[in-house]
Amino acid sequence: MNPRRVAAISAKEFIHIIRDPRTLLIIFIMPVLLLMMFGYAFNLEIQDVRVAVIDDDNSALSRQLIERFEGSPFFTVFHYQGSREDLETLFLERDARAILSIPENFAATLIGKHPAGIQVIIDATDPNAATSINNYCRQIVTDFNAGLSGGAAMPFTLESNIWYNPEMRSAPFFVPGILALLLIMISALLTSITITREKESGTLEQILVSPIRPGEIIIGKVLPYILIAFLDGSMILILGVTVFKVPFVGSLFLLALLMALFVLTALSLGLILSTIASTQQVAMMLAFVLTLLPTLLLSGFIFPLASMPLPLQLISTIVPAKYFLVIVRGILLKGNTIAELLVQVLWLAGMSVVLLTISWRKFSTNLER
Amino acid sequence: MTKIFYMIRKEFLQIFRTREMVAILFIMPVIQMVVLGFAVTNEVKHITLIIADRDNSRLSREIVAAFSNTDRFDITGRETDVREIGLDIHRWKAQAALIIPNHFGRDFRRGLRPDIQMIVDGLDGNAAGVSVGYAGGILREWAEAQARQTPRLAMVKQNTPQLELIERLWYNLDLRSAQYMVPGIIVVLLTIISMLLSALSLVKEREVGTLEQLMVTPLSRFELLMGKLAPFLILAFIEFFVVLGAAQVIFPITMKGSYALLSLEAFLYLFTTIGLGVMISTIAKSQQQALFLSWFFMLFLLMMSGLFIPIANMPQFLQDLTLLNPMRYFMAIIRDVFQKGSGWQYLFTDTWRMTLLGTLIFAVSVLRFRKRVS
Amino acid sequence: MNEIAVQTQNLTRRFGKFTAVDRLTITVSRGEIFGFLGANGAGKTTAIRMLCGLLLPSEGEATVAGFDVYKSSEAIKKNIGYMSQRFSLYDDLTISENIDFFGGVYGLSPALIEERKEALIEQVGLGDFRKRLTRDLPLGFKQRLALGSAMLHDPPIIFLDEPTSGVDPRARREFWSIINELAAAGKTVFVTTHFMDEAEYCHRVSIMRAGKLIALDSPGKLKESYGRNNMQDVFVALVNDEDPRPEEQL
Repeated sequence: MNPRRVAAISAKEFIHIIRDPRTLLIIFIMPVLLLMMFGYAFNLEIQDVRVAVIDDDNSALSRQLIERFEGSPFFTVFHYQGSREDLETLFLERDARAILSIPENFAATLIGKHPAGIQVIIDATDPNAATSINNYCRQIVTDFNAGLSGGAAMPFTLESNIWYNPEMRSAPFFVPGILALLLIMISALLTSITITREKESGTLEQILVSPIRPGEIIIGKVLPYILIAFLDGSMILILGVTVFKVPFVGSLFLLALLMALFVLTALSLGLILSTIASTQQVAMMLAFVLTLLPTLLLSGFIFPLASMPLPLQLISTIVPAKYFLVIVRGILLKGNTIAELLVQVLWLAGMSVVLLTISWRKFSTNLER
Repeated sequence: MTKIFYMIRKEFLQIFRTREMVAILFIMPVIQMVVLGFAVTNEVKHITLIIADRDNSRLSREIVAAFSNTDRFDITGRETDVREIGLDIHRWKAQAALIIPNHFGRDFRRGLRPDIQMIVDGLDGNAAGVSVGYAGGILREWAEAQARQTPRLAMVKQNTPQLELIERLWYNLDLRSAQYMVPGIIVVLLTIISMLLSALSLVKEREVGTLEQLMVTPLSRFELLMGKLAPFLILAFIEFFVVLGAAQVIFPITMKGSYALLSLEAFLYLFTTIGLGVMISTIAKSQQQALFLSWFFMLFLLMMSGLFIPIANMPQFLQDLTLLNPMRYFMAIIRDVFQKGSGWQYLFTDTWRMTLLGTLIFAVSVLRFRKRVS
Repeated sequence: MNEIAVQTQNLTRRFGKFTAVDRLTITVSRGEIFGFLGANGAGKTTAIRMLCGLLLPSEGEATVAGFDVYKSSEAIKKNIGYMSQRFSLYDDLTISENIDFFGGVYGLSPALIEERKEALIEQVGLGDFRKRLTRDLPLGFKQRLALGSAMLHDPPIIFLDEPTSGVDPRARREFWSIINELAAAGKTVFVTTHFMDEAEYCHRVSIMRAGKLIALDSPGKLKESYGRNNMQDVFVALVNDEDPRPEEQL
């Protein structure tokens, strides 16, 4: 290994990167935009559900019940005046997502010590929202009953204790995901493209006739990307901690170390892709399907893995980002130590070794041919 | 017009001559459909749960049974020591713990309202909130069943009036996630294919130099673009039916509305996505840049479309911003047609906004696309 | 068709501060082979692109086949054939499909396309290869095919931008014999090249440097006035001796 030759290759690669300002812009602007977008938009908790009320009773009690709905932060209540036959129009026009119907004699029945029924019709097109709406309605009814009887709502209490993120904010959840996505994009996608580009244009052959060794080429070529990956990663972390108030409980040193491990895994993935792909086009498509999509979908970044069918869960075991997300979330929020993250670390290290060995072999035989 | 015919014929010859292209067009979307259809869900299930049953009475065992009978929770361990429970959550062994206190059964029967404690890992704020909600629901149901069996334990005193909630779910009775998500994914796939292919095909002709040759022919700008884009419009349209069919075979979903109406809406929507493709081709200098830009565009369109983050949850300024996202409209349209069987009169607002946006995007892109070199 | 095929008056094109073509004034008559010489980056391609209606001039006047380049670029396109320095047929179409396509795009009737296709395939000598993909052809054949495709609509004026770069000498000679035939048939051929031996085949040549026209005459007269034996030496003399600021050559 000759450091001077490696440096020469790295310098050349840097010039390539700087000469392509559009890609560079995407690398540094994209994470900021992503963070902003997730920061403002990522909110899965339903809000502001419009409820149409049909109050056929119009009594003090029925108004009391409606007030409870109005008092809930989840519901926006309005009175429906239209015809009963056209109720569905409310859903078809998307004017309301639930309809609360209080029958005539509602108060009279209750005062007569009989159970009185009220009906709630929920637009269940979005099953997740429907479940939440249903739960909130039940809660209101339970509270209302408790008020009527003057007794306790439940024969027990449920006290919940949310750890690490008591306000249940989304930022601590998505910032690590964006970090993983960007690191994969730079380390796997960009490196595979840059190596294939040289293969395509024939410059790789030009370099090969020089006394340089394959290992020096690879290290020289990936060094700048490692640097960019670290710059980008630090930027995301700093923004996450300062702007989005993500707690940082654990060790910075450990995080940096394991980030390096993840970058290594991603780079070896990129190297494998570049040995398979003959053109940039193919490299891009492969990188897209094999790195970006799994990182987005099958890592637990947004969609919970446990809810997926078994085949997808099996695939997710070889998605590096899955382990990296646990590492980052664990260090940032839980203050996990390396011993506690051993499983994840071993998976990443194992994957790197396997991928590197394969790509090393393929790369040297490819070049000798 | 015959000139356009020659353009279209040439484009089809080129597309079907490349085997990879045919695979990208017809096999990839079906595979993506399967993966996305199963992966994209906002359901929270199989939350790993530790149960600490310190009472171990008949009643507490009933609660444990209720928690093990749902796919919302997976009971991964039993542990009564709070310190151990804490360590397990810290070490990612479980996401939540339910602690039933000593003498729970006795206190419950005496009406002392014993305190059940739940510890939740709040990393995933959404999942944490949802799991507390589920736990509350399971416990409430159990308590109500208890009350029916032994009226003495009823939540309310005897002879007090009680309100009963009768729930009716419309459109998606079994609350199946696929019914809501899969039509949305059809939109995503349709967008990727039409936007990316039209952008790449234009950029490629520029890269190779054939576009310059076309520019010195008497083809008008309109003929040139129509000839280039019509094939992708047709292909994306066929694509739409392939994915639509595949989705209904693979997933347990039903389509309630009119196929004719849905096709018309899809056709209108494709104008906007192909317009976006032309726009990208006027910005990108190489196919690589075009791909990056499309991916970038796609991410924003997707996030702001309501696919998995309901638009109503966003702050007002982002909600206003989504009005500029054509995907938002088609997403709402396809979901309504699928589940509610909405007729055109209910989709009118979405349709005209989408069409107006599409016309604008298309017009701007066509104007930006000069029949001259820069 | 009048006797003047191409005429320019102070034609100028700037890209930002850089002036690619500086006050170019030329007149090309019908039936002439007009050579456009210059080092790479001297402004040849920019000039030709303006004349083809691909690029708007910054200043000056120009007419091609009697049409103004500002107002009637679409009319110009019906009257010219253009072959760019980059190979401009579709690699993934067969020879026959390429010809069908360009014929169709120029609005020829199917019968006429068929007739000219046969003639062209015959002329280039590709009879057995019509169903072959264009990418499998040797470059010399490709270039002749590209020229034929650019002329399917029988235009009176033909622009060739470095048509022979990368082609072997024999194929170049054949290519130039086609150009001579075209000129003999009354067509105007406007050709850029950096091969000085090719300049000898032209009726008149113009030499450009840093966007400016520095010489314009027949090859014979140029050799005479500079006292050289071949165009190569004339070119070197022009570029070296008369360049007051050689660093601006690019």
